Parts: sequence; structure tokens; C-alpha cells
Amino acid sequence: MYALVDAVSFYASAEKVFDPSIRNKPVVVLTNNDGCICAVCPIARRLGIPKFKPYFQIKSLLEKHGVVVRSSNYELYADLSDQMMNVMSRFCDNQYIYSIDESFLYFENYESCIEDWHEYGHQIRKAIWKETRLPVGVGFGKTATLSKAANHAAKKLSGFNGVAVIDSKISREEILNRMDVEEVWGVGRKIAGRLKLEGINNAAQLSKQNPKNIRKQFSVVTERTVNELNGISCLSWDEVQSPKQEIFSTRSFGQRIITKNELRAALVTHAAIVGKKVRKQSSLIKKLMVFASNSPHDPLYYKQAVVYSFIMPTDNSCEMAQAINRIIDSIYCEGVHFYRCGVGAIELNSRAFVQPDLFMPDHTNGDLMRCLDNVNHRYGDSTLKIATEGHHEKWQMRREFLSPQYTSQWRDIPKIQC
Amino acid sequence: MKVIPIYAEAGISGFESPAAEYKELGLSLDQLLIKHPNATFIGQASGHSMKGVGIFDGDILIVDRSLTAKNGDVIVANYNGCFVCKLIDKKKARLLSASSEFAPVSITPEDEFSLEGVVTRSIRLHHKSSELTACML
Repeated sequence: MYALVDAVSFYASAEKVFDPSIRNKPVVVLTNNDGCICAVCPIARRLGIPKFKPYFQIKSLLEKHGVVVRSSNYELYADLSDQMMNVMSRFCDNQYIYSIDESFLYFENYESCIEDWHEYGHQIRKAIWKETRLPVGVGFGKTATLSKAANHAAKKLSGFNGVAVIDSKISREEILNRMDVEEVWGVGRKIAGRLKLEGINNAAQLSKQNPKNIRKQFSVVTERTVNELNGISCLSWDEVQSPKQEIFSTRSFGQRIITKNELRAALVTHAAIVGKKVRKQSSLIKKLMVFASNSPHDPLYYKQAVVYSFIMPTDNSCEMAQAINRIIDSIYCEGVHFYRCGVGAIELNSRAFVQPDLFMPDHTNGDLMRCLDNVNHRYGDSTLKIATEGHHEKWQMRREFLSPQYTSQWRDIPKIQC
Repeated sequence: MKVIPIYAEAGISGFESPAAEYKELGLSLDQLLIKHPNATFIGQASGHSMKGVGIFDGDILIVDRSLTAKNGDVIVANYNGCFVCKLIDKKKARLLSASSEFAPVSITPEDEFSLEGVVTRSIRLHHKSSELTACML
């Protein structure tokens, strides 16, 4: 049995943990630089506050309803995420942390000890609520895709109180019938659009398609999804945990960037972030995409992207910095006020299956990178960095509505009235 | 809160310390003070109503959410949108202070109330701490 456990609008819920004065109020959280709304708590959702809308566009709507607005407090979320994941891990022998607020659980060895999955799901919910004050939804299913569907039902469909179990034909049909095909794990908006043209609107309809036909029309991935929806496990536990195929680091600047050196510093910083993530999942970068642009709202939109191919795949941040140095001239343009830039590893190889080149020495310098990562892990990010990264003042995130760092700074620990 | 042991290593090799073999990790306050790290949070007391149980203004409180409060426990609760530290009187649904200057508070159905955890330790800082001075003001 698989389970998917995830927090109900995690960022907004996390804001409520140490601020009891907003527990019963509508709360929204803004993205980097306070641009868009990225989390809406259930109370705000009931007021009809939409997600992913630019903040400035719905500012008056928020004010009208007295909605509490917060900037993203990543320091707090990371800490609360750790606590939540640790509490969850008590309940299962296999846990895969899929993102900051969701985990797959795979019950392998003592599945038979659990008699009532509904009851077990509520135990997980209660424990996480009691110990961390975060609300979660729990979905169980015979496959990873079904557990994801059950989780959707647990949180979004009426009649489920935070827990849903797909363990029979009846429970499967009931949930899949009420689920838009776009909500199915692995079906994106694009594929959903094509499916809907053919009259396949909900998940149940998709599950009744002939997998072979789906493969012809779409891809092997969608074929798998169809099988998974029918309870046939196609993604093994190892595949669920498979490393990411692309890693990006991108951000808009708090203040515009004008000079070439500033842009180079920003790009190298993104490269360092990507490098760290790539090393963490033991991959090597074959192709690196580097891009920069001004704002689409500017009178003359400028965007430039370059793909750099490494001769030998690498995870060395210094080599990535050198690559950026080589292509900066084709990205930078004088007079452009840059608003956004980023770096993405778009073709990754596994370190385990690397084919060394007889005539090319290994440039990855693993010892140096390990040292860099260990030092930064111990003493905090950017303790050691590539000199080109420079200082980050100008593109520090704008976080006007930031809550205190309740769990990571002594000066911010919550006050308790006596 | 993580305590990181750092070994000092000078680049001079003299005689090895006869105690080197006996080196262990230092004492960890976390180990002593925190039973359930994933269910524990740290707060700071503000006010004088809990003097009777030895909690003074500015003390550090360690609050365990995983414990179930027993009658008479020192607890932290969300009382009308504010964290409060009191003694819980479960039978009469009241919050009691540990000081004769403060009257008991009855919890009514109109109140917003939830138990947040049990105060398992309180820490008195006899010397000022530079990390905390910002919030002592």
C-alpha cells in the first residue's frame, strides 16, 4: 500500500503555527519578491481568494476581507517541514520526501498489521496536528498514482475528512469519477487539454481507456498512468524516488540589474545553487541553460537564453562558473534593465554510470566540492562561495510582510504571556 | 538547535595527548532538556504571574506538544489569539496563575482556546545573553 501525506496549504498553515492571533483569520502567502499569491489558507479560499494572481491586482480584494498577507518565510517553512516529515516517518518503514510539504509512504513489511487504513490515516493526521500544529491530508492507494488521487479526495472532495482510501473497485470509481483528469498525477495541463477534446474529462474515464492506444497517442508515461489508475503498479518504489531530470534556479531581482558584472554574479550564484542540488542527487550536468530577461511589462521585452554543453559532464561549481563566463557576452545587452535571470541543468547524467574519457582527465574535483558543501552545511549557505558570486544586496528578495524566524533566531522566539 | 562539536587542530605535531583516546562528544543540553525534538518549541516568558512555580519574566520555556496535560500542569495555551503560560485546572476549566496577585480565569465557550503543550522546563538566564537581549527590551 502507498500513502501520500501532504500539508493543507503548507505555507499559509505554517504562518499560523507560532502566531495564534491569525489562526482563525484568512491568510495568504506571497512568492519571492512579494509578486504572486502562492498559498491560500482554507478560510481565505472560502472567501474566494484566488491562487497565483499577482498581488497588486487583488490587493483591494484582500483588504476588503481583512486578509492577513505574509511574505515567504523559508527559514520557518524548512524547519517546520523537517518536524512534520520526522513525525510522519514514525508511521511507515519507507518514506520518500517528495517536496517541502509532501511525502510518499510505502508500506512494505508490515502492511498486514494495519487493519483499518482509515483509522491509521487519522492517527497520522492527529499526531502531526498535535505535535506540529500543521493540518495534513492522507491518501492511501494500491499504486503511487492512486495514493495521490486519494490524497486529492481527502483534501478537496466533500465527504472526506482529511483521509481517503482507495482499496476497492467501489472506492476507486467513486473518487476517480469526481476527479478532473487534469488533477491526475502525471497528466499536465497540455495532455489534459487533448484528452478533454476526446471527451475524456475525469480520471475514471481515463482509467477505462485502452493503455496501448493511449501509448500511441501520447506516450509511455501516460500509458503508465492509465495502468496505475487501475491499480497496476508501474512505478516501483525506486522509480517514485528517481532523481529529478532537470534542476533550475531562477529568481527575479528586488532591484533591476544593469551592469555585466552584476548579471554575471547573479548567474554564478544560481549556478552554485544548481551545482549543490546536482551533487546532492549524485548527477552530472551535460547541458546547462543560462537565461536573463527584463520584465514582460517593460516597453521593449528582452530575453536571451543560451545552452552550454560540457564536453565532459560535471558537477563542479567552478566549471559551471567558467561556462557562464564564456557565454555572458551573448546574454548581456547594454541598456537592458534586467529583472530576472536563472540557470538550469537541462540534461543530467547519473554519476554512477559515467563513462570516463581516456584522454580527458576528471575535472569534477570531488574533494573540493565535498569540502565546499560540508562547510556550507555546517556554517550556513554562502559561507564559502565562488568569488564571482560577489555580494547579493541588490537582488535580495523583497519580503515586506515577513513573519519572525520563530524557530531559527533566538531574538524571534515566540513570546508567552504569564 | 544543533550543537556542533568542533575539534581544534593546530598544524603542529607534538606529542599526542594521552587523553585523545578518551575524547567523546561534549554534553548536550538538547539531550538533557528535550525529550521529543520534533514536537518541542522554545518560547520566552513575559510577565509575572507564574513566579510561584519559579517562572520569571524573560525566562526561556521549553514546551512539549506531544504530552497530554494533566490537571495542575504548567501549560502553554492559545487563549483568544495569544500564547499564555498558566496552570491548567481541568475540572473547573480555568487557567490559574502562580501568584496571589492574579485571579483565576474561567474559559468560556465564547473564548478561543486550545492547549498548545506542556511546559517541561524553564530556564533562568542569570547573566544577560547577547542573542536574547533584543527581545528583553
